[in-house]
Amino acid sequence: MSAAAGQSSATGGMFISRAQATIFLGGALLFMLLFFVGPMLMVIWSSLQPPSGGTFANYERVYNDGYYWRVLLNTLRISMWVTITTFILGYTLSYYMNFHLKSPMARRAIYIIVVLPLFTSNIVRSFGWIVLLGRDGLINDGMRIVGLTDGPVQLLYTSGSIIVALSYVMLPFMVLTVNSIFQNINPSVIEASRDLGAGPIVTFLKVTFPLSLPGVVAGSLIVFTLSVSAYVTPSIMSGGRVAVMPILIYDYYMVQLDFSMGATLAVLLLATTIAIIGVYLFILRRYSNR
Amino acid sequence: MDRTSTNWGVWVVSIAAWGVVLFLIAPLIVVIGVSFTESNFLRFPPEGLSLKWYDVVVTNPLYVNAFWLSIQIAGLGTLIALVLGVPACLILVRKKFPGAQAVSALFLSPLILPTVVLGVAILQYASALGFVRTFWALLAGHTVLIMPYIMRATLVSLSEFDLASEEAAQDLGATTPQTLWLVTLPQIKPGVIAGGLLGFVISWINVEVSIFNSTSTLITLPVRIFNQVQATVDPSMAAVSAVTIYFAVICVLLIDYFIGLEKAGMK
Repeated sequence: MSAAAGQSSATGGMFISRAQATIFLGGALLFMLLFFVGPMLMVIWSSLQPPSGGTFANYERVYNDGYYWRVLLNTLRISMWVTITTFILGYTLSYYMNFHLKSPMARRAIYIIVVLPLFTSNIVRSFGWIVLLGRDGLINDGMRIVGLTDGPVQLLYTSGSIIVALSYVMLPFMVLTVNSIFQNINPSVIEASRDLGAGPIVTFLKVTFPLSLPGVVAGSLIVFTLSVSAYVTPSIMSGGRVAVMPILIYDYYMVQLDFSMGATLAVLLLATTIAIIGVYLFILRRYSNR
Repeated sequence: MDRTSTNWGVWVVSIAAWGVVLFLIAPLIVVIGVSFTESNFLRFPPEGLSLKWYDVVVTNPLYVNAFWLSIQIAGLGTLIALVLGVPACLILVRKKFPGAQAVSALFLSPLILPTVVLGVAILQYASALGFVRTFWALLAGHTVLIMPYIMRATLVSLSEFDLASEEAAQDLGATTPQTLWLVTLPQIKPGVIAGGLLGFVISWINVEVSIFNSTSTLITLPVRIFNQVQATVDPSMAAVSAVTIYFAVICVLLIDYFIGLEKAGMK
């Protein structure tokens, strides 16, 4: 804290003494060091304490065993499809809300419907899909009536059902992120494009979409990172038949009680998340430099 | 301009968008529908109409206790995060000091880190320090989870804050605590309340942190539902899930009424 006692602080506003500042910031900082930084360091430390072998024995095991790679790839593949699905659905809805929906009442209603699922647990949000995708569920009944299928089709407990339910869980994040960018687009830019003779599709491709790209990239980042670390939805939608990283971590910690190996996979998940954010920041920097 | 093709495009976008709205609302309606069924099976549309599964839920102490534990953890966690977080934000915004950016990043980082990792971290840490799977371990994990939501909302409110009013108050002789309580807090209150509500909800719906730090008696409502769904699935699960949906509807309407959803930082 550089501002000397007795002077007003550098950024203006009320006078806060050094002692006051230390207390105000210190409480929260101490809490985070004790219950966030400490626990995280402990996980990293634990991953380097294998029951047998050298310090990095766990990491060598993960590196040499194809199983872990397959699970990691499966996690990334599912997350990629979830990101693509939420982009298509979320962008469509957000575009409609901002450029075609005239009624403020309808807009508000849709906004509430988008936000509502965020206030219920992932378990509740996924639970509806168990009913919908089950053997006697609405989707199977519908396909039978339309004549697409003869008997019940296995929809539940597949990678597909994980992608559907997870897309549902993640969709509000995409809509809200894209929305916040759409709201900042000046409508006169779009009008200008139309006045200059560009059709609606050309205007969308050359003006609206490029302007909304930061929202698409930010929304995709949120959805992708949350999908990679999602445990609840993949767990109940897989029925134990499909493994993703968080399920594997849970298994090592709670079933096999191998904390050290669990910690190694947790660090791997953490590293994956940080790598994704790194790629995002890289893209962002290139984009803003143009 | 080609009006027919414009209208055609608008129609396609409109129908697709309303399809997405249906996609968003359908699973919640299905859960609520199933909860009123008379039969013992999860069927939608429900067969008959009864409240018997609600009766099963409210008379089952496992659900009722889990409900209260969830409320306690989320409520206390939000309170602690508010008391610690709001003053810290004040310093982060008002004082320039080396490392301020790093400290901000530290406070906000639980937002982007996998909550599963936070869950196992608290488990291992509490095991080592001897308070594993206690109320306090659960509370600590949830408070870390809530903190960034309150900090983010408070930091945004403070950055839009009119500094002159604080200076005026102090020129007129108000002490720092008086200025803070009478001038600063009232102005940033909507943002802080929004952040607090959001943090409360994030804790209330959390499974990933709780599941690693629960016992058969110390168990939050989402984890209780989660365990139950994996064991047996009967309509009582739909009823308890529906109750949490009603809770969510009330929260959302309250936020929308008092602050406005779009202003509440739901982005």
